[in-house]
Amino acid sequence: MVNKLIISNILYRPVRTALSALAVAMEVAMVMLFVGLAHGLVNDSARRQEGVGADVMVQPSGSSFLLAFSQSPMPLKMGDRLEQVPHVLAVAPTLILFNTGALSMVYGIDVDSFNRVSGGFAYHHGGPFAKPNDLLVDDLYAKSNHIKVGQTVTLLNHQFNVCGIVEHGKGARLFIPLQTAEDLLQVQDKATIFWVKCTEPAYTNAVVDAIRQLLPKYNITAVKEWMSLMTSNNLPGLNVFTTVIIIIAVGIGFLVIFLSMYTTITERTREIGILKSLGASKGYIIAVILREASLLSAVGILAGYGFAAIIRKIILANFPTLVIELTVLWAVYAAVLAIAGSLLGACYPAMRAAQLDPVDALAYE
Amino acid sequence: MEPIIETHDLKKVYRVGKVAVEALRGVDCIVHEGEFVAVVGPSGCGKSTFLHILGGLTNPTSGQVLVDGNDFKNMTDADRTRFRRHKIGFVFQRFNLLPTLSARNNIAIAQYIQGNGFNPHRFQAVVEMLGIQNKLDHRPYALSGGEQQRVAIARAVICDPKLLLADEPTGNLDTENSQTVLTMIRGLNKTFGQTVLMITHNPEAAAVADRTIHMRDGRIVSD
Repeated sequence: MVNKLIISNILYRPVRTALSALAVAMEVAMVMLFVGLAHGLVNDSARRQEGVGADVMVQPSGSSFLLAFSQSPMPLKMGDRLEQVPHVLAVAPTLILFNTGALSMVYGIDVDSFNRVSGGFAYHHGGPFAKPNDLLVDDLYAKSNHIKVGQTVTLLNHQFNVCGIVEHGKGARLFIPLQTAEDLLQVQDKATIFWVKCTEPAYTNAVVDAIRQLLPKYNITAVKEWMSLMTSNNLPGLNVFTTVIIIIAVGIGFLVIFLSMYTTITERTREIGILKSLGASKGYIIAVILREASLLSAVGILAGYGFAAIIRKIILANFPTLVIELTVLWAVYAAVLAIAGSLLGACYPAMRAAQLDPVDALAYE
Repeated sequence: MEPIIETHDLKKVYRVGKVAVEALRGVDCIVHEGEFVAVVGPSGCGKSTFLHILGGLTNPTSGQVLVDGNDFKNMTDADRTRFRRHKIGFVFQRFNLLPTLSARNNIAIAQYIQGNGFNPHRFQAVVEMLGIQNKLDHRPYALSGGEQQRVAIARAVICDPKLLLADEPTGNLDTENSQTVLTMIRGLNKTFGQTVLMITHNPEAAAVADRTIHMRDGRIVSD
């Protein structure tokens, strides 16, 4: 009977129900999409670095594990020493530039050595660098920016000719010749990172140890180890950002449910008086209101899942380079947050309803 | 017959801002089981306050109230709520049906709140007696005033209360519907021995009762 009362109340006020559920849906979708975007971008970046195919990374000491922010490039000649280390198959020097215009990394690469480490690019269109101003872009970047082979693109205040479109997943989305990158940074024979490929992955630890002995002042990291560090929890600011977004989203849900239940209690004062005259206890009245809020939340949560999936689809269709990971774990978290926010929002109106004087409530116009 | 209602020097003072309003100024009254009592008097004489105190909806300022042997002075708010749930049925002038529920659910909810669940036999007997079998799936807005009041009476008696308290049950009804409702309340009293205390302005309605109590200025002036 309580369920009938709750459902009939919800159906009796369809606009209020729709608005409340919509607010909860927005809350759920917001949490899932922002967290999904943050985690998606971090994980995608990590997967692309792994996609280079190297087993070990050599960077200058003190460099950030975010590859784009290495401060002082290393001499290219170090590559020759690295190739002498036992069990090293190939070494690829890369000069990394940060393209502030698109907030993305550009790899300055030596195609031959990069191919030896990565196994080579898969070309969708065009082919490798033929001139200094040639540019390779990955398929997602090309789709996102409507770029075709032969097109001229302005990058890093420089005109580049797109010579090829390659399959995504090899570190960066944009590649230029190493020499051109050096010219743009006004350095000579330098690299930001050396990608080291072992003859067998099993030799990774041995190679790391050997390089650490050879180059004790440098930052030597196994790619597998780096992957484990490359999580949103280890990125400064990202957790704060996620937390702020969650607080705002839950706050919206809380306030809307609070307002909705508060106004509905005022509107239904006489009905609460009727229930009290029938002998309904305070607990009964609180339970009715909290269950109504929970039902509104449940409807909102389901709608939120739908919104999140649809919005994700729309975003990815328009911005293919973005990655939004909608996970079951965060769907559960978002649901728990929405229900908790709603119950919290309904708590005060429920208590207020339970405390109403039955005589005053019955006289309410 | 045992007394079902006993009040001794019952007083109730309301505070309206800084002004104290004495709604009841010492009411002594005894009503026995199975009686049909009408309480009449002008507006503001304290009739409704008297009824609300007897129903446990509000506390007296002083004095003693015993309903079915239970002294309200020794009962908490929760105790009185529980007592009301099991022992009291209310009928109001404005029907006070839940607008979102059908007539059927408006009646059945009283059984659910009482905690014993739906009793189909009792339900059937009550709706047949009140002649609302064909109106059970209607919402209150689709019922006439007389039909709404019959549903309200059904809700009040569905749990077989010891005491039926009716606050101007015919106040919002035309003559024909008033007569029907009064006949039904009378029938409940005669057939089932239901104790009824009814407040009314209407002398014709009061005439249906076995006994009439007159109130004025918060006191019983004649019985």
